[in-house]
Amino acid sequence: MQDVNSPLDDEKKADTSAKTILNLKNLSIGYNDPLVSKISKEIIAGESIAIVGPSGIGKTTLLRTIAGLIIPVSGEISHTIPKRGGIGYIPQKLGLIRHSSVRNNIALGARTRRSRWYPALFPLDRSLKNDIEDAMESLNIKDLANDPVRILSGGQQRRVAIARTLIQRPQLILADEFLGELDSENIKSIVKATKKIIEEIGATLIMVEHNEERARQIADRIWRIKGNELIEDGDFDQ
Amino acid sequence: MVISINKKLLFTGTILLVLTMVFLDDLVEDWGQIEDAPEKLQTFFSEDLWPPDWSVLEAEVWVDGSLHKPNGDICDESFELFCSKAWTGMVVTLKMAFIATLIGFIVSIPLASVAANNLAPLPINLAARIILAGLRSLPSIIWALLFAIAIGFGPLPGILAMTLYTIGYLGKLQYESMEGIANSPLESGMAMGLTHSERLFHIVIPESSNHLLSQLLFMFEYNVRHGAVLGLVGAGGIGMYIDNYINPPFDYDRAFALLIVVFVVVVVIDLISMFIRSFVTEEGDVKRPKWWTILLPAGMAMDYYNQKGVTKKSSNLEESE
Repeated sequence: MQDVNSPLDDEKKADTSAKTILNLKNLSIGYNDPLVSKISKEIIAGESIAIVGPSGIGKTTLLRTIAGLIIPVSGEISHTIPKRGGIGYIPQKLGLIRHSSVRNNIALGARTRRSRWYPALFPLDRSLKNDIEDAMESLNIKDLANDPVRILSGGQQRRVAIARTLIQRPQLILADEFLGELDSENIKSIVKATKKIIEEIGATLIMVEHNEERARQIADRIWRIKGNELIEDGDFDQ
Repeated sequence: MVISINKKLLFTGTILLVLTMVFLDDLVEDWGQIEDAPEKLQTFFSEDLWPPDWSVLEAEVWVDGSLHKPNGDICDESFELFCSKAWTGMVVTLKMAFIATLIGFIVSIPLASVAANNLAPLPINLAARIILAGLRSLPSIIWALLFAIAIGFGPLPGILAMTLYTIGYLGKLQYESMEGIANSPLESGMAMGLTHSERLFHIVIPESSNHLLSQLLFMFEYNVRHGAVLGLVGAGGIGMYIDNYINPPFDYDRAFALLIVVFVVVVVIDLISMFIRSFVTEEGDVKRPKWWTILLPAGMAMDYYNQKGVTKKSSNLEESE
């Protein structure tokens, strides 16, 4: 991904740019052949977007491309997000370290808040440690702080993944079906906690969700992948 | 589909077996030499090895009746065993193996992290792999020989030899384990903007900790076993006493007793390894099956566990989700 600092001509343009966090320009994504082509979208800071569509159509590939894990087939992704800690990514399999404790998993997100030149083995300072405790508290996993992640239930693991991402205070959160196959009670509480914290830190959310009903619970905009095109449903708040 | 897989398996198996037979036949010139091998072995075992001479577990008794350590010092320990060749030799070997394994591990981890293809780009991978291959191409006994020539006899050349070999051998095992970890945590870390060292120390090492620990303890065990061999080139430890006994006047029964001591230590290290690894494996989270159920057909074993409710803990976990 490239950082964009292109000079803007007029004041109006500059205003728009101040709000635009991510710009996808004529983007084609895929591995060798493009799965989805001609994606041109502008994402404003604070928006919540859900990408919906059937399995295998390219939702995850789009998310991974935005995360900088896959090089686009063609087109350009530009953004103003810092490389370190600016993006919080929750993959489909959550990306947790199974043998590490809940606290250590969340600490991974906190590490991005200090300089990249800080030695990796140096302990976190007191304020970051306090933030980890607060994050566990707000997601109801404080009792599990010292348990290895592998023994937690699916719902608990999702809370850990969310806490790890939120403690980064990222500008952009990319979540790939992070609600998974949870029961409705768990979904309600996780959605509530996530929305609250996202609002607090003012992050932008792009999530992949195969269940459209759930997507509408969280997202302001719905991007639907059909064939090899991305179509936007519109703003649900309007 | 099943039939075609079996055919492929059969075909590959046959090819491998035929190749083995062809190579073996090519290498062995006289098959007649194995005819009386069992008898020779039996004679060697009954006349020279058995029974092992357990005097290696005792202190040396000098003509005046005083007890001495192998280096000639007076034995003032509370147990005579602590002055024996087996004990003193094994303690030196364990110390040598400990130092070599620990230093080898500390050096091999960063090397392995740049040799793993999911952590570094290809040119760096190749450079690191060439270094590791170079270090393990020479067996530790050759390294020991080189160091014995350079700095003389004693434990130091043994430690240096073990350390270099450990870096090469352990490094290879480590980068293969690192490459085997799940992509998902690594990708999260990359998207988050974590540095290479943060990904190594906080994702890769914890995620592959089971394998890394197992390899570390295996390497320690390997170095203890190799301590018995390195003695042959004067590198100290229990190997030096074994070397003394297998040379004239051929005290094979004493050498055999020392080898049994090495075997016991290796078994103990394996048990310690099992205990330590239980903290990072999922084996500890489920109840172990009874040993005799492995003799039952799968269906019967399953019925047994269902009746006994052995799967209770895992079903509890499911309920909690």
